[in-house]
Amino acid sequence: MAKQKKQRELSDTQLASRVSWKRDWKKNRMIYLLFLPIAIYLIIFNYIPMTGILMAFEDYSVRKGWFHSEWVGLENFVRLFSGSGFLIAFRNTAIMSVLNLTLGFFPPIILAILFSECKWIPFRRFTQIISYVPNFISTVVVCNLVQQFVGKDGAITLLLSNLFGLPNQNWLADSDIPVFWIIFVIMNIWIGMGWGSIIQTTTIANINGDLIEAAALDGANRWERIKNIVIPALIPICMMNLTMSVGTVLMTGWDKILIMYMPSTYNVSDVLYTYTYRMAFGSKVDYGLSTASGLFQSVLGTILLVISNKLSTKTTGYGLY
Amino acid sequence: MTKREERKLEKRMNKIEEENNKPSMVVNPTLGGKIANVLIAVFLAFIAVICIIPLWHVFMASISDGYALLSHKGTVWLPVGKVTLAGYKLLFSDSSILSGYFNSIIYVLGGTLLGLLMNVFAGYILSRATKLRGFMIMFCVITTMFSGGTVPTYMVIKNLGLTGTRWSLIIPGCTNAIFMLLMSNSFSQVDKSYVEAAEIDGAGHLSIMFQVMFPQCKGMALVTAINTAILKWNSWFEASIYVPNNREYWPLQLWVKSITASAEDFLKSANPNYDKNLLQYCVIVAATAPILIAFPFFIGKLEKGMAVGGVKG
Repeated sequence: MAKQKKQRELSDTQLASRVSWKRDWKKNRMIYLLFLPIAIYLIIFNYIPMTGILMAFEDYSVRKGWFHSEWVGLENFVRLFSGSGFLIAFRNTAIMSVLNLTLGFFPPIILAILFSECKWIPFRRFTQIISYVPNFISTVVVCNLVQQFVGKDGAITLLLSNLFGLPNQNWLADSDIPVFWIIFVIMNIWIGMGWGSIIQTTTIANINGDLIEAAALDGANRWERIKNIVIPALIPICMMNLTMSVGTVLMTGWDKILIMYMPSTYNVSDVLYTYTYRMAFGSKVDYGLSTASGLFQSVLGTILLVISNKLSTKTTGYGLY
Repeated sequence: MTKREERKLEKRMNKIEEENNKPSMVVNPTLGGKIANVLIAVFLAFIAVICIIPLWHVFMASISDGYALLSHKGTVWLPVGKVTLAGYKLLFSDSSILSGYFNSIIYVLGGTLLGLLMNVFAGYILSRATKLRGFMIMFCVITTMFSGGTVPTYMVIKNLGLTGTRWSLIIPGCTNAIFMLLMSNSFSQVDKSYVEAAEIDGAGHLSIMFQVMFPQCKGMALVTAINTAILKWNSWFEASIYVPNNREYWPLQLWVKSITASAEDFLKSANPNYDKNLLQYCVIVAATAPILIAFPFFIGKLEKGMAVGGVKG
């Protein structure tokens, strides 16, 4: 049935591509007319800014505009890659992205399995809803909470200093290597853990009950049931989520960093986005460097997106395009 | 059937479904199983507590005594000193927060409605078999792959004369090609015979779109709409570059940012008003409470939409 439908749909589009332009226009001109506003929107807010990439190859001056500024070729890129700020930002972006992907991958799955193993439904429902809350707190507030909790005399700082004898200090101002990264990753896990578990919880709920029953009859204990039935059922959806998030990983959380970082910790907290931002709106404006860095990031993001989409379509048969 | 009866029926169906899904055989709980159950419950409770502690802390701090709070260390489990609402009084005596609320609501409503309209249109158009369908899809896909970045976008918006107006925070970013493509996926899954039947009956594009197809794509529409709403509600960065000097257009989040960032400035004055120490907590409560209150009403629907759409927000 499904196959038939697919075939028919295929033939629909094929048919449509075979008719002559004249007939197509006659039949579908209303559709094309309706598409016009959307096309205009995309042109204004997506395509015209793309021409701004020109600035990356120019010594841009506000007075002369995009098309008349002096052309300097790759000089901006040479400056970009030879300056230390950009390379540090690139390193930090790469490390924080990888940490987010790997460490952020497991908590939602574990949580979903635990939710499904909890048989006391009202309690389970209650905890589930509470675990969604962090996802609905605004970025600005979350960052302020982090600042309060890991600041001097903050709750987490005190806990750490009581348990492990770590110094009572503002951890966000610590420029030693893993501190900021750990804070950032844990913050992201806190935000996304509960919300990220929704899809996995639904997947587990959709597993055929007979399967689990049969396993139980055969003497499989709870752990064996999870290992052999639940986890294999979860793998496809998790792989899909992972591959989809690879594509957008460069963008995650840059506005949080913009709130939380400070000049003294740029060496660990600066990322490509914040670097681009500072070059454009900071105290030392350099549009050329900013656009060049933005272009680099955009190209990198596109490569990741295409690769992850390919991977996703290959492994799970589901892709965005 | 009235809505109420419908809901009742749905509830009953859900119950039956739940019972069917449960293993009918009684699994004898062993001692180990019981301990595991308790451990799981304790762990889940722990997670819930972790998720809620920061908000509890802020709420309790917001009704504490400003001066006593200054010397307090760690989590505020219970109000420090005398319980007072002075912070809230101070916060709402200034009209800036109220205008922030008002602006945020405008941006969220305007952006979401506009975005939803465009998503539905795009979804419908991209799902129809036309000769240019491939081209139109490509036209959308390209925007997800390449972007000009912050600076060129800023310049375009500036040249359109939108900076310094409310429109700069409503129109840009109210939708994106990914939402459009998701919507069109959902529209293409509608059975074509419905559309053909409606066409034979002489229905126009708009009525096919909204009366025939849209009701079957509500789940995905809700997911995109709520995602847009959350994006708009959270956004402060756009406001900080598009309307930096027009404080009357600032959304709530930018007020939160500016108030929390300058929380300790009041100490510099010769005769500090310690109630100002409470401002940063009060503003967080004020910015978070509306969502948490609305939360129970939309969470069930959103969960369902998420599960159907299979997208991560």
